[in-house]
Amino acid sequence: MSKKVALRRKGKYPWLSLTFVALGSVLMVVPFFDMIMGSFKSPGEYGKLPYHFLPQTPTLSNYAAAFTQLDLGRLFANSIFVTVVVTTSVLLTSAMAGYALAKLRFPGRSVIFRIVLATMMFPPFLLLIPDFLMMVNWPLAGGNDIFGTGGQGLTSTLLALCIPFLVSGFGIFLMRQFMAAIPDELLDAARLDGASEFRIWFSVMLPQAKPAAITLGLLTFIAQWNEYIWTLLISSVNPELMTLPVGIQLLQSFLDPASTAPIVMAGLVISIIPVLVIFLSFQKFYIRGFVLSGMK
Amino acid sequence: MTTMSGPWIEPEGATTPVLPTRVAKTKNRGRRKEAWTAYVLLAPSLLFFLVFLLLPSIFAVVLSLSSWGGFDLSTIEFVGLGNFARILSPDSTFVVPILINTLVFAFGSVTIAVIASVAIAQFIERISLQGFWRTLYFLPLVTTVVAVGNVWKYLYRPSGFINGALNFLGFKSIPFLTDPGTALPAVIVVAAWGSIGSAILILTAGLKSIPDPYYEAAEIDGANSWQQFWKITLPLLRPTLLFVLITQVIGGLQSFALINVMTGNGGPANATNVGALEMYQQAFAFGQWGTASAMAMVLFVIIFVITLIELWFFRTKGEDTE
Repeated sequence: MSKKVALRRKGKYPWLSLTFVALGSVLMVVPFFDMIMGSFKSPGEYGKLPYHFLPQTPTLSNYAAAFTQLDLGRLFANSIFVTVVVTTSVLLTSAMAGYALAKLRFPGRSVIFRIVLATMMFPPFLLLIPDFLMMVNWPLAGGNDIFGTGGQGLTSTLLALCIPFLVSGFGIFLMRQFMAAIPDELLDAARLDGASEFRIWFSVMLPQAKPAAITLGLLTFIAQWNEYIWTLLISSVNPELMTLPVGIQLLQSFLDPASTAPIVMAGLVISIIPVLVIFLSFQKFYIRGFVLSGMK
Repeated sequence: MTTMSGPWIEPEGATTPVLPTRVAKTKNRGRRKEAWTAYVLLAPSLLFFLVFLLLPSIFAVVLSLSSWGGFDLSTIEFVGLGNFARILSPDSTFVVPILINTLVFAFGSVTIAVIASVAIAQFIERISLQGFWRTLYFLPLVTTVVAVGNVWKYLYRPSGFINGALNFLGFKSIPFLTDPGTALPAVIVVAAWGSIGSAILILTAGLKSIPDPYYEAAEIDGANSWQQFWKITLPLLRPTLLFVLITQVIGGLQSFALINVMTGNGGPANATNVGALEMYQQAFAFGQWGTASAMAMVLFVIIFVITLIELWFFRTKGEDTE
């Protein structure tokens, strides 16, 4: 790196840049710290004037209350179930379809690839109403008759939360791009050894595609853990299905008004921790995928 | 797509090369096996897209032309463009204030986020610990909207952090989310706060792709950092900026989770109500599937048109200045 380049990279006034970046990042983290502080404030203290950033009489009771009054245990279990099912399904279907589009030759390949790209253009809000009506009126499920009336349909099970997210056009695209870059010689060698097409996919391709799979898995896991609108909708029909974010949002109104805010904050802290740990430990994979998902 | 060309893509029987029969047969069998494998691997995904994407989309169009409430499909009634006429009429609240709010919300939050992220992305390039700083700005993007919305709701309260700071500095409290005049700007700030990190990441990729010799030459010609920014960085960053703008505006126009968390039904008095939230309420609070679907269609068309305008604007601007 030449001296002049170093000049640009570091700038003439690095302290000025640092000041701006640091001030900005204070704005970024203050809400998070206010949430953590709030979760330790005692019921009488919260909402009183004047405002204090630090809890005056710190307490852990909000965390205990979050588990009992918000039923965090059940919300956690629902969140984990939905997230694991969706992530597994997206990884599997993306690896399958991505491999076909990257390495196999068959009539209609370019048309199908274009269809996959087109699915990424669909705005999700457009599908909210028809998908919801489909779930409720699914024939022969949840007490429904063959015409889809009379019962709860698929909204009687946690699967209703998963279904619209089981396949991802972006996931297929990501796996296809990654697998296309893996040399054909590897596959040809396996073919000469007499491996079946399935064996080639499973034993040759999948291990090679691990980095892309980790990235896709992280993106899907975090997005699904945080999913709000669809889950809110289905939970309004069947409150048994609430996940962490939706439960904390909907159950607020049942809490004791004097201590609602600190209990909600305690619940939020607990619900954020899993994704935060995962994000911080696998940041590189996540960021790479995020930039790619933007670049489509 | 050059990689797609080959004998397997041509129509059947078009130009089958004449090969000795034995070779052709085994080759064909291999090809056919490969094609079957591909179809089996693709089937689950394609079936999913058909059942949960294509059919529902057609259903959404049909619904937007119908009048229907409740779940009994036999009561559905075809009303043509009646829903559209009603929601777009002057007495409807859908255009004013809801669609206006939608545009103000999307463009307001994107403007703040893009200007801030261009500055911050540049500044981060000049200091050390770059990954650490970018991570801080990115945190809201891995946090559930329920946390972001609720925490900011508490920050905005009369007894919250922001008013606490205002009082400390000797200012009067501002009823951010309960005053119709300040409610929309208040949620716009939160939306911008939440999306700065993603813009910084993508703009950083754009900044890194600008070749160093450009800056070296400018330096030799005596251009200062300010001139370098306007004459080199900004013009060369245009494709990246366009990309960030389009994706964030598309996202902003259809987003309503944050507003739903912060103000519930878009209050006070529709001050923060946006198109997608109104659609959601018409459908799931009032069971007006037809009206709600028509709103979704209108929003879809608006997003489409605005994307085209943005693309056109950036292209012509590019031709003017280069």
